[in-house]
Amino acid sequence: MGIFLALITYFAYVFIIGMYTAKAVKFLKAPLHIRWDLYPVLHEEHHGYGGSYYEDEEWWTKKRRKHRMRGLLSLVADNFYLGDYFSRNRSYWLALYPWHLGFILIISFHICCFFAAVAMLLGLTIGPSVGGLGALFYYVILLTAVPSFILGSIGSMALLLKRSTDEALKRYAGPLNYFNYLFFLVVFLSGLYSWYFTDPTFSGYRQFWKALITLHQPHVEPATAAHILLFSLFLIYLPYTRSMHYISRFLAFFMIRWDDEPNTRGSALERKVSALLKAKVTWQAPHIQSGGTWAQVATEVPVRGQGEGKK
Amino acid sequence: MKEYLQVADIGKETDQLVTIEAADLMSLPPPYGDLSAEPPLRSLTEEQKKRLDASLDGFIAIGIPRPQTAEEEQALVTKFLAGVQRLFSKEDNWTFLQPLLHSLDYCVKCQICSDACPVFTATGGKEIYRPTFRPEVLRRIVRRYIKKEGSFVSFLHGNDVELNWRVVTRLAELAYRCTLCRRCAQLCPLGIDNALISREIRKVMSQELGLAPNELHESGTVKQLKTGSSTGITPKALGNIVEFMEDEIEEKTGRKIKIPVDKKGADVLLVHNAGEYMAWPENPEAFAIIFDAAGIDWTLSSELVGYDAVNYGIWYDDVQAARIAIRHAQAARDLGVKRISVGECGHAHKAIMVIADRVLTGDLNIPRESALPLLERLVLTKKLKLDPARNNFAVTLHDPCNMVRLMGIVEPQRRILRAICPQFREMEPHGIENYCCGGGSGFAITQSTTFPDWRSAVSGRMKLKQILEAFDRLDDPTDYKYVCAPCSNCKGQMWDLFTYFDVWERSGILYGGLVELIVSAMVDLKEPFIEWEFH
Repeated sequence: MGIFLALITYFAYVFIIGMYTAKAVKFLKAPLHIRWDLYPVLHEEHHGYGGSYYEDEEWWTKKRRKHRMRGLLSLVADNFYLGDYFSRNRSYWLALYPWHLGFILIISFHICCFFAAVAMLLGLTIGPSVGGLGALFYYVILLTAVPSFILGSIGSMALLLKRSTDEALKRYAGPLNYFNYLFFLVVFLSGLYSWYFTDPTFSGYRQFWKALITLHQPHVEPATAAHILLFSLFLIYLPYTRSMHYISRFLAFFMIRWDDEPNTRGSALERKVSALLKAKVTWQAPHIQSGGTWAQVATEVPVRGQGEGKK
Repeated sequence: MKEYLQVADIGKETDQLVTIEAADLMSLPPPYGDLSAEPPLRSLTEEQKKRLDASLDGFIAIGIPRPQTAEEEQALVTKFLAGVQRLFSKEDNWTFLQPLLHSLDYCVKCQICSDACPVFTATGGKEIYRPTFRPEVLRRIVRRYIKKEGSFVSFLHGNDVELNWRVVTRLAELAYRCTLCRRCAQLCPLGIDNALISREIRKVMSQELGLAPNELHESGTVKQLKTGSSTGITPKALGNIVEFMEDEIEEKTGRKIKIPVDKKGADVLLVHNAGEYMAWPENPEAFAIIFDAAGIDWTLSSELVGYDAVNYGIWYDDVQAARIAIRHAQAARDLGVKRISVGECGHAHKAIMVIADRVLTGDLNIPRESALPLLERLVLTKKLKLDPARNNFAVTLHDPCNMVRLMGIVEPQRRILRAICPQFREMEPHGIENYCCGGGSGFAITQSTTFPDWRSAVSGRMKLKQILEAFDRLDDPTDYKYVCAPCSNCKGQMWDLFTYFDVWERSGILYGGLVELIVSAMVDLKEPFIEWEFH
């Protein structure tokens, strides 16, 4: 069992990192798109009211400063606050927020256990009364784990209830949505059970990680083992859900919504556009000369009877 | 009774999926609050119903002929799927592939965007108009018919849309119940853009099936590319119009102004929506008066397409959009102007400045800007002699979505109004949170059968509410009020909207552009430039 737990834990972390990376790479490898800005664009100077550089006469002659960090910090902060939901749909937020906090905290808990194990291998003793870093690890682990199990469980149940009773949500939900809530609920409850009945100080988790790092067979209580197994399955399952939105929203905001980079003559961007104009067009409507490149199709307008059909 | 329409109902065998009753509609402020006093929404004739598919909501934007045989039904489905497949091609759809993939993959259907939609809100929450409805239909089709998910996975995802011809025709029409205002997208914390998906559906219909509203395609982009303008104005006709405007300027102001046309090497090529020449010539006239008074080195173009800034392609067809953008740039290049300045037309702003930004290269990549910052400079640096007292009437500002939410041009027009209109007041919400006029994305020009009723009673309803709430004394038509709408399409919509609700007669509310207000404030004009007549 210990070997199996170790293997699935290794696999789960490698898998989730690999899958998320693959998804991010797929997004990043998509071709340059037509601009599709949406304001406010937070790196703009006048982001407060949603202004852009287009408010300046002869904007191309002016020096622009992009405050990218502002956008980044705003998105990071929103991951912990979910402000749009708070201000626009408070009852949904009340269910969503504990759920999300549950996720953030449970992942933090497991990462902290890993680092605590590393610290232990370096000679640190972890406990409530040892003071210093040892006590810090002890309390951080406690304060990430227990709230995550409680908040995650509450959030899972609340969202299950909300999704199944609110008509606007229910009509758009598939069986998988309900499975997700139930599965995540089991993950959180298993952690809660393990903590309450078998491992109130989480020393078992730290020992588990210590064994994993030193490539020894881990030994944990059955309840703890169950939670570790479920958490690994949770990590393996996450890439198949929309959980990537924690990351994808950064890509979408920076590369779509806030992508206001102008195409100036002679720029690298212009070269990219020129390359894309050589792509083949195979759309079949009568007004399009299928088979030509974008540059050809866009500059050679067919006359009636030569590819231009009636709609 | 509350309807419980499901996503899969899009393919339901029924004559009409949804009916809009007057009682469903959002009420307007007094004295417009009596729903029973509103003009009734007209129904299609039996002949129209027999000939065209109106099975979505009883209205028609495209006017798709009902398929007569099983083969025709199948052809619609087959072509649609081929088109959807092309949406995922890096070559065919490099233009919007990345935003599309993101919006298809990551929506969690939290519905936080629903209330942002003026159409959904105005109809009391008709499910088909919910911003997430049409994307969800497409998403389920993609999973089941393009990605070909197995039956169990498909069941888990709830992919229950059975693709048939009705789904195709209804989805096509449904894509034309969204004004592409992107208010829903603005609110999405995950960056999902439901309006983009509406546009992608429109694109499949146009670029693959050859289906688009006549006013956008045949009488729109095709006509513009062929004759120079979707209004039918030819280069020769433009010459006559310019002469007419010069005469009218002299008549109104006593000034003899020569409007420059095809002036080589001018600093500014000013491009107007040609609809202005036809419906509101006072707008290009006002530009001419201002530029003349300020000594701007400018010109109009008489080159085919170059004199009509519209580009309806941006609403439904990437190919047509690119073709028109290139023709605009060619006209500017041939004149050797230093910059292109876009007049008061929101979508023309976005088309040539934002959309065309990744189409135009080399010598076609000419600097392009809005005319508003230039006007702002002229007003605020006292290049023009202005007296705000001449505009002492209530003025509010409509923010065209394309120019404001989608381009971030928010303050120049406001700074001008604050300087020249003592009774300027904002409508709520405003700026980048504004509501669409209801005529966005081609609705303002779509005249198909009873569609104008839907446009006025439904998609324009929220804007009318905002306008009415911005003013006092709505029951006094002699107390003149002015809605400044620096966009031709928005003005077109307001003409319809105000006519439908009799707003001018009942409340004395007129709409018009920004430059008319600037000229109206010019101290050396003997007669008021703004004529308080509804047109």
